[in-house]
Amino acid sequence: MRRKLIWMLRHGMGLGITAVFLLPIYWIFTASLRKTGLPPPNSIEWWPQSPTFNNYPFIFNLLPMTRYIRNSLIVVATAVPITVFIASIAGFGMSQEDDIWRRRLLIANIALLMIPGASVWLFRFQILRWLGWIDSLWALIAPAFAAGNPLFVLLFFWAYRRIPTEIYEAARLDGASAWLIWWKMARPLVQTTSVTVIVLSFVMYWSDFISPVLYVFRTDLYTLPIGLQLLKQLDPTNWPLLMAAAAVITLPVLLLFLFLQRSFLSGLSIANLLDQN
Amino acid sequence: MVKEQLAQSSTRKISIRLPYATQVRFFLLPYLVGTLILVVIPALATAVIAFTDYRAVGLPTFVGLANFRQLMGSALVRLSLRNSAFFLLLAVPLRILGALILALLLQHRQKFFGLYRAAVYVPSVIPEAAYALLWLWIFNPVYGPLNFFLGWLGLPTPAWLTEPTTARLAIVILSLFQIGEGFVVLLAGLQNIPRSFYESARVDGANSWQSFWHITLPLLSPWLMLLTFRDLIMSLQNTFTPSFIITYGGPYYATTFAPLLIYELAFDYFELGLAAALLILTYVLLGLIVVGIINIVGLGGSTDEA
Repeated sequence: MRRKLIWMLRHGMGLGITAVFLLPIYWIFTASLRKTGLPPPNSIEWWPQSPTFNNYPFIFNLLPMTRYIRNSLIVVATAVPITVFIASIAGFGMSQEDDIWRRRLLIANIALLMIPGASVWLFRFQILRWLGWIDSLWALIAPAFAAGNPLFVLLFFWAYRRIPTEIYEAARLDGASAWLIWWKMARPLVQTTSVTVIVLSFVMYWSDFISPVLYVFRTDLYTLPIGLQLLKQLDPTNWPLLMAAAAVITLPVLLLFLFLQRSFLSGLSIANLLDQN
Repeated sequence: MVKEQLAQSSTRKISIRLPYATQVRFFLLPYLVGTLILVVIPALATAVIAFTDYRAVGLPTFVGLANFRQLMGSALVRLSLRNSAFFLLLAVPLRILGALILALLLQHRQKFFGLYRAAVYVPSVIPEAAYALLWLWIFNPVYGPLNFFLGWLGLPTPAWLTEPTTARLAIVILSLFQIGEGFVVLLAGLQNIPRSFYESARVDGANSWQSFWHITLPLLSPWLMLLTFRDLIMSLQNTFTPSFIITYGGPYYATTFAPLLIYELAFDYFELGLAAALLILTYVLLGLIVVGIINIVGLGGSTDEA
């Protein structure tokens, strides 16, 4: 009896927390289905009367959404593979260093984690200008060449560290290059970490609002987050429309997260947290 | 099989081969070069430019501490630093506390708990621009869901984004739901505490509250410390998008946080020297908060662990 009560309390609490944290997503989608031009609701509206999908085609007529989507996709499709590659080899390289260098690199990475983004805004602009990348999608892809975020390198480093180096020994004696050892032996063993970094970096580039605000001025190079901001300036009180646009930008990251959440969350944590038993 | 492939391809490759340790060092090269160019050099240049008069064109001229004097003389700058301090001192402890409570509640390895944990992470993946717009709607004083809810509970329904005090609070509130990173880190920390600690505590007659204070909290404190420092730095930066999209610094500059002012100084007025100096002032502010925390809490709770 008492066990059952505890069981119910625990799951009741779990469901309550789930509801609160899913509410933002739920509201984005239900609000996007509301007919435009209806008077605003006078109580919490859990489901719109006569829901409609018409807001979605409408935003595509109002703004060049297809172009924004294409730009966002180009950035993500280029930046995510570069990020994963550079972070993965850097993490592997770090894990193969001797103790002294490993510690130095670890400290350097943690120090890098503590550099706030705002401190590089001003001069990254100058450097991107020298590279000729201002007003091109390369300005948005650029962080990929620094592995996106030092955290990604650290995640790979921790994953590679858990592989005992002895398993590379035989291949090394056979004269295999470090490159081949990484590609054929080490990389396949850290798949969950790769998935985690793919999800995190996808979210990072897809959501990036600051870089296009700072470095991209040509309207035909705008990405989805800027499109959303434009829509808000165009029609600031048309909530169904704004929420439909918000849904368009949220849906890809949400789907990616839902499909990969198991590997994603277990890759993020050292213990296998999503083990449900 | 793998070995055969490896042996085969190695005979085909060029005969001169660097030692393994050197080869592996080259793996770090792209990351180090990229970070140097895109992060380290810009950050250092910013620190230098703070002491110069530099307006994006021409050469910077050294002016000593003049930028800092000019900034500290401005009421708006002082207000933006106060706003930032308000945000950090309120949002960061609440975010860490929220992540800790959720991690404690959802750490069980039972059916469905994996899904509950995933749900907590969901708001953290919503793109910032969409997230900001959503809250603009939630906070709408007339037909936003929040005020309907508060009204239904019989609580006061403030005007949120049009009142300075509540607007500042609103930016804090919306930051409290994107705590996925801290949540996952603390879950990992909790899983690393050996079960046997709790069992022996129970044998000694400790209740769950006591084992939380004497086992969980001390062992978790290094993680909490690390998270606090990272959150202090990241949260300050993360005020940019909401304050840019939702309020653009208003009403009456109540949500003008330091990053927004840095952006305006640098990219609207091209006062790069002043912008860099303001950035350094925000570091000083962060440093003061960190020193304050260390004074209050002690370093990483290492005394408790003994």
